[in-house]
Amino acid sequence: MSEPRPVPAPTATSPWDTTGYWGPTDPEQHPAVRLVRERFPDAFREATVFRDEMTIRVDRRALRDVVEFLRTHPELRYNHLTDITAVDMLYLRERPRFDVVVQLYSIPRRQRLRVKCGVDDGETVPSLVPIFAGANWLERECYDMFGIVFEGHPDLRRILLPEDWDEGHPLRKDYPLRGYRDYVQPGFESPAPRIRGTLRRPGP
Amino acid sequence: MIDFSQPTPVILSEVRQLTPTRRELVLNMGPQHPSTHGVLRVRLTLEGETVIACDPVIGYLHRGVEKLGESHRYAQFVPWTDRTDYVAAPSNNLGYVLAVEKLCGIQAPERAQYWRMIMAELARLASHLVWLGTHALDIGALSVSLYTFRDRELILDIFEKFCGARLTTNMMEIGGFSREIPPDLPEMVREFCRYFPKAIRQYEDLLTENPIWLARTKGVGIIEPDVAINYGLTGACLRGSGVNYDVRKAMPYLFYDRVEFDVPLGTHGDVYDRYLVRIEEMRQSIRIIEQCLEQVPTDGPLMAYESQYVIPPHKNVMTTAEDMQRHFIWVIKGFSPPKGEVYHAVEHSKGELGYYIVSDGSPIPYRLRIRSPDFVNLQSLPYMAQGAMLADIVALIGTIDIVLGSVDR
Repeated sequence: MSEPRPVPAPTATSPWDTTGYWGPTDPEQHPAVRLVRERFPDAFREATVFRDEMTIRVDRRALRDVVEFLRTHPELRYNHLTDITAVDMLYLRERPRFDVVVQLYSIPRRQRLRVKCGVDDGETVPSLVPIFAGANWLERECYDMFGIVFEGHPDLRRILLPEDWDEGHPLRKDYPLRGYRDYVQPGFESPAPRIRGTLRRPGP
Repeated sequence: MIDFSQPTPVILSEVRQLTPTRRELVLNMGPQHPSTHGVLRVRLTLEGETVIACDPVIGYLHRGVEKLGESHRYAQFVPWTDRTDYVAAPSNNLGYVLAVEKLCGIQAPERAQYWRMIMAELARLASHLVWLGTHALDIGALSVSLYTFRDRELILDIFEKFCGARLTTNMMEIGGFSREIPPDLPEMVREFCRYFPKAIRQYEDLLTENPIWLARTKGVGIIEPDVAINYGLTGACLRGSGVNYDVRKAMPYLFYDRVEFDVPLGTHGDVYDRYLVRIEEMRQSIRIIEQCLEQVPTDGPLMAYESQYVIPPHKNVMTTAEDMQRHFIWVIKGFSPPKGEVYHAVEHSKGELGYYIVSDGSPIPYRLRIRSPDFVNLQSLPYMAQGAMLADIVALIGTIDIVLGSVDR
């Protein structure tokens, strides 16, 4: 028989808080936060830290300029675009509806940074393709899955779903997991029977 | 019902007449083509045998894994990560569980971390062996694939011994491993490490100085270092161009800072250099596994049991009341990480595999993004294919090392 063990509550400090791969965890001492706030005082919104990860939130209209500044500034040199994605914030806040999330990495300085901007349905985000060629497919995927339009993208069309997909954008939170329509296999008259239900997220 | 008596209209290609002397041919390569490594379709515009434009069409294997992740509890999603890149399933497990552990603020015990490293490096070897066999098969060296698949069986046997599965392993759990390591597994891995360098020499004897192989790969598909960075390439595609970025060295996770290994770099950035980089990576993986086997403690916990985020040990579930309650809640309701967002990347066999998780404090991830390396790497195919010959396209698809389950997710 083992001794009963109380389960400790999660503490604020964890082994992940001090890895230092994202630069200083104090926003005041982080060079990217300081320089972006100096250079773009109007577009800079806030800087947040979770675990050791630094996130800068900027205005959507200035996203390309901020990323270009982060790439070219000799103290920062975030020259590797790791990822562009979006988050549908439908259940978390009123507006803007989406967050566009850009993950950057600096190969010479070995540091990551995350840049975010809020965008509402019907608004556009400046495309990053003129800066990073690798943004092309990532933005197309974002458009395909969320319906976010990237202004200045050379070839913005669906990438993973078929080009004639007419059921909207599947990673939006109001898109049902099984889609809007039942799929009828070619050669069959009715959809396949459902074997079991799926887990539902509690509503907002 | 389909009427099979009627002929099916098949449109294979279209020929456009530009000028009386210049003709463009639009050719669909794939999605059912043996050298596209799955269901990749490449829309080629050809003039004679020269490729003018190349447009990869993907999505034939899209299953909505990210959407599924946003409707499953955290621990339920681990088997789904196997299905993204199915030739290196343990590496996918590793990236996901490390991201969740970072979100929860927990860390696996030392012994589990070493075994995770060993399994991730074995998965890298298995993935590289599949890549080498199919890549050589595409270019015309049939016999290499026989040898690589023979040796991959040994790795799959180790996986089977460890967790019972060979391909979709589902071996890592949030917090470590809940099952004990089989007692004869270390010896099995050691024996593999003794054997495998001989096998690498065998592959190199077949390919490295083979004149046909050199003619097909040298100077083909060159990517300059600045272009490689601009395209966001990672893995051997980036290191083949001479850019030194390996997540294991740049941002060590697990205990990669405790082992010695080298990061091979190419000089020309062509198909041949990426081949050499991957061959050398296999040797370095063996070095890492040998050092891990020396350093790993022989006994000790394998699971971070003192946390509320991991499943309680099975023995205690059967004997103590509070562990039974914890187990019940863990299985029925799942666990709720704190609110926040994390991005964690691991060095997958194909490049940087990152998981970005947004948590709203509920047992289901609010957003789960998989940054798969080959989706980003495949973007460089049109760049490499500019002005290449049609026969080079199979070499270029092979050199990117794609798995369509990971590209389409």
